[in-house]
Amino acid sequence: MKKTWVIIVNVLIMIVLLTFVVFYSNYENRNTAQRQIEHFENTTITMEHVTENYLEGEQRICDVWARYINSKEMTIEDAVSFIRISHVLPNASAHIVYLDSLSGLSTRAGQEASDYTVSYKRVDLLEDVSWISGIGESINISRAYTNPVNGEQSIAFCNFITLHDPENGTPSSAVLLRVLPISELEQKWVFPQEEFEKAELSMIDANGNYIIKGHSFKNSSFFEFYRSYNATDPASAQALFEKTTSSTGSFTMLNSRGEKCILAYTPFAATQGWTLLSFMPMNDLKADTENWLLISFVSAGLLILFVFDLSVMLHFNKKLQASAREAASANKAKTDFLSTMSHDIRTPMNAIIGLTTIAEKNLGDTEAVGENLRKITLASNHLLTLINDILDISKVESGKLNLSPQTFSIVETVENLLNLSQPMIKEKNIEFNFRTSRMEKEYIYADQLRLNQIYINILSNAIKYTEPGGRVSVDMREEESQKPGCVQLTYRVSDSGIGMSPEFMATMYRPFSRQVDSRVNSIQGTGLGLAITKQMVDLMGGTIDCQSEQGKGTVFTVILDLPIADRQRDDMMLEPMDVLVVDDDEILLETAIDTLESLGVTADHARSGLEALGMIMHRNKTGRDYSVVILDWKMPDIDGVETIRRIRTEVNSNIPILLISAYDWSDIEEAAKKAGANGFVSKPLFRSKLYDKINELLGTEVKSVEPENDYSDLQGMNILIAEDNDINWEIISTMLGMFGITTERAENGRICVEKMKQAAKGSYALIFMDIQMPEMNGLDATRKIRALDDPWASSIPIIAMTADAFSENVTECLNTGMNGHIAKPIDMKLVIKEIRRIKEEKRS
Amino acid sequence: MKKLLCIILAVCMITLLTACGSKPKEKTAEFKPALDKNRECSITVAGSYDNFEALEAEFDRFNKTYPNVQLSYVKLDNYENILGTVLEGKDAPNIFFSYNWMIGNETYASVSGHMEDLSDAALGLDLDCIRPGLINHDADGRVLIAPVFSRTYGMLVNDDLFKTEGLSVPTTWTELLAVCEAFRIKGYASPMMGYSRKSSSCFMNTVAYPLFLTALAENPEALALANGLDPAAGEYMRPALEAVLRLIQNGCIDLSACDQIGDNYEKVILRFFEGDVPMMICTGDTVSGTKKRESKSEAFSKAPFNYSFAPIPMTDDGGYFIDSPSVEFSVNKDCDNLDMTNEFMRFLITKTELNEMASVKRLVTPTTDLSIDAVYAPFAQVPSDHVIFPEVLGIKDPLTVQIRVAAFRVGTGEITVDEAVAMYGSFK
Repeated sequence: MKKTWVIIVNVLIMIVLLTFVVFYSNYENRNTAQRQIEHFENTTITMEHVTENYLEGEQRICDVWARYINSKEMTIEDAVSFIRISHVLPNASAHIVYLDSLSGLSTRAGQEASDYTVSYKRVDLLEDVSWISGIGESINISRAYTNPVNGEQSIAFCNFITLHDPENGTPSSAVLLRVLPISELEQKWVFPQEEFEKAELSMIDANGNYIIKGHSFKNSSFFEFYRSYNATDPASAQALFEKTTSSTGSFTMLNSRGEKCILAYTPFAATQGWTLLSFMPMNDLKADTENWLLISFVSAGLLILFVFDLSVMLHFNKKLQASAREAASANKAKTDFLSTMSHDIRTPMNAIIGLTTIAEKNLGDTEAVGENLRKITLASNHLLTLINDILDISKVESGKLNLSPQTFSIVETVENLLNLSQPMIKEKNIEFNFRTSRMEKEYIYADQLRLNQIYINILSNAIKYTEPGGRVSVDMREEESQKPGCVQLTYRVSDSGIGMSPEFMATMYRPFSRQVDSRVNSIQGTGLGLAITKQMVDLMGGTIDCQSEQGKGTVFTVILDLPIADRQRDDMMLEPMDVLVVDDDEILLETAIDTLESLGVTADHARSGLEALGMIMHRNKTGRDYSVVILDWKMPDIDGVETIRRIRTEVNSNIPILLISAYDWSDIEEAAKKAGANGFVSKPLFRSKLYDKINELLGTEVKSVEPENDYSDLQGMNILIAEDNDINWEIISTMLGMFGITTERAENGRICVEKMKQAAKGSYALIFMDIQMPEMNGLDATRKIRALDDPWASSIPIIAMTADAFSENVTECLNTGMNGHIAKPIDMKLVIKEIRRIKEEKRS
Repeated sequence: MKKLLCIILAVCMITLLTACGSKPKEKTAEFKPALDKNRECSITVAGSYDNFEALEAEFDRFNKTYPNVQLSYVKLDNYENILGTVLEGKDAPNIFFSYNWMIGNETYASVSGHMEDLSDAALGLDLDCIRPGLINHDADGRVLIAPVFSRTYGMLVNDDLFKTEGLSVPTTWTELLAVCEAFRIKGYASPMMGYSRKSSSCFMNTVAYPLFLTALAENPEALALANGLDPAAGEYMRPALEAVLRLIQNGCIDLSACDQIGDNYEKVILRFFEGDVPMMICTGDTVSGTKKRESKSEAFSKAPFNYSFAPIPMTDDGGYFIDSPSVEFSVNKDCDNLDMTNEFMRFLITKTELNEMASVKRLVTPTTDLSIDAVYAPFAQVPSDHVIFPEVLGIKDPLTVQIRVAAFRVGTGEITVDEAVAMYGSFK
């Protein structure tokens, strides 16, 4: 959905919600207003009762006066005197007016103190007296009029009375008016409820004329007032007026200010045709204040929600855009990578195909073919590394890189590391140092494959990017870990190579990144090694740090907390003896002495061959020969071989001497042995290695170390190979045959199982099992074999030999009951090593 | 585009939401208050009108500035006689209706004594917005009375009827007679009508009075005689009385038809709204009731028409605009809250408010802007030499009685013109 539509939908939802709130609020308002109106009507009815009681009370006073005057046959003067005596209200007065002359006397004087006369001739009040009923019959109240005596707006309660002429007693009809000022009445005539304090009252007659008029009521007639400010037609107005003067109820109308007002009406019960009106603006009912607050609150809330949603949406959009940019960038990187890969794959492939073609044409030239095959092997290995890296990074990116921990020897790992790196070190003539410090825990429980990968990647990079004659140093240190049951292994590789730019360092852990450098471009690499390394270090919960300076070199430090394996070498302690260690490398000296002392021997050290020679001679003279001398091959003054030769010649001692070398000692083996060396030990000097070598040298425990090129132990072995692919079968069978191993083929898993069922005990030393095969795969076949009744058959070692090279494939194989895993393409060294391992396990 | 749409929607939302709780601002007058706007007090205006909606509308407008001032209009019974008493009593009004004839009249000395001098510059009243001829200065040069409406004499003209019959509204005496003849021929028995039952506000006076004043205006000596009720001034009534008689005799006015009209106000209006009377003779006071009665008249409601109020063209030079005050206000200088009372007067005596009030009441405005109401537009066209200010001329009230009664009695045929001329000064 487009953003615009999302906004429109949001706005529509807000409008719908607000509309609902408004309508609901209005509905509630109407209910509240209706209740208020009903209350207002009821109060009006109450006011009618109160008013009626008041008017009746006033009228009764007038009635009493009239009855008394009539009963006493009074003259007008007598009547006025009587009323003056009876009158108690200070602002009220009474007028007695003859009907014939409309003049008479007032109980109070006018402007002139002695003038009590009063005239209603021009007041237009008493010309028609039909509205005055008999005494006690009803309330005879006048309209509001101007008191002709004092000019005050007043009302009058009236009664007919009969006066008598003082001289002849002739009766005359007159009207007695009990006159009350309107202002007096207005002060009393107010709504009792506080909420209606702004309500006003009026009293109208049947024609709508005001008898008493409130301030907000306009015109002289209520009907005129209504017509003046409210649009209506004559018929509707007439109907409304009739209803108003004959029933109780209310309606809304506009006042002179155009405000909507409520008018409640109720007729006076005691006075025919009179109606009490209550009038107040609707706004003063205060029915809707809270609801507007609610609407405002909801509106503000929705607005905030809308703005918040909009902001969040925009924020996410920005993130999505950034992600899209990153994805595009990653895609571009992949495209670039694929382009590079295409080139990188085609290059060794070209070498393989080309060299194979050349070899085919020169089959007779053994030397040329051999050279071609050597180069083909190099190209194949590079191609294999490339494929492995691609597979690894693919797993890293898909999050499927899992660890498969197993118990292994860190010493073996380091040896493997050295073995792998030796050829390049040799080739580039790099000064190489590998130092270890206090490597007490030999066996580790971790993913050996991945740990190897980490160490090899870093070391091979250092060697790769160090120019010939440069220097590469490796320091491995074991320390206490914060994690229980673990040791902390610090692996530090420093080189004097080309170094890295800060820009590249910022992105060096990203896949497919390679430094743009003319020197680098000549070096083969996938740009995946560091990315894979970093992912693996992270997966193992470790840290990787890099310090580099272009042109000066790089230092990589990997720190990993690795679990200690349950299996460790028994306490390695040598018999007490004196050992001399000779090396110009201070650190090696220090670590070697430390290690030796931990083995229970006394270690001396010398920093050169000459110094060592002196110390050995001195010991010899004093009859305290060293039990063992361990000396480095490469030393500044005289090298190790020369030192041995001089020890043997000048001291004439048979002290066992071990020659230390960081490299493959095959080059110097012959010379060293000739000089008198008793054995060789490669750096780094692990505790176990020293223990084994010294014991071996002293004859305390003889280790059978198989000569490198001696495969006699493999002679006569018969191995069953389950392999469906003819070429693969041919390769493995031929290669094993080269080592004197005989093989039998099973074309698939089912055949393999059949062969095992039929095989006599000991027919096969082990099985190499392909995994993906027709009819029955290697896993199922393994399960079937493990389920066989024959104990020999069911326990025969089975090694997976498959192109499924992922760690989960390895794990799956082991879980199925296999004893090992070799990835295709096969490395014969590994195959032989695996065979020997199986053989060794079987023997033990 | 999307951002623009977002902004527009957001603005719409905010506008909608804010509109929920707001009310449209009302245009405020230019009046600048001089007192505390929260002042609480009450002001009463006393008068003889039963209703004074136009004034009550002004109360509401004043309350927009001073919401706590309670203004009320009170009708006094027997106004002219009770006014003095009321002014002395407890309910003395702040403002009251007054008349020029009260000034200098001994009977109303106490009333005059309460009147404030409205020309006092300290009060700040804009008396200049009123036509000068309507303002009366007393012997001391004071202005004790301020006119709020003007009264004039003329005829309501059914403009649509003239159009329907293809006739033009007459502007001269000759045209008037011709138009009446034309209407009569078309079947209109009484092309002109008016109230004729009593002398008060009778059409005869409405016709005769402007002509009589014209004659007096041209002869100051005659004016003195007329004001003195000297029978010798009777001769100056002759042209006016003959004109009345001629209208009747020529069939312009059917007296019997006029006698059917029950009173000089509502019935006159409702008769005119019947739609078959081309010209209805009346005063501006009657015209003031037309607006409200448009809805009361079933005939007018069913068939409304355009009408106007025009001078009666009693001469071949056209008609005359007799411009005299109708309602005038005085301030009781002894009242409570005098400062707020003067503030109200300062608010009221402006062209805006007086025009507003005249518009509501549909009376002639006393201001210099006569074009405010289309009904009175014809009077705005009257040339200045045809405008007569009785107050300026010095017309006294007894004079008006003489011409009114004389015209009525001549018009009804009770007496001849000669008899009426001879009886000047004796009419009651």
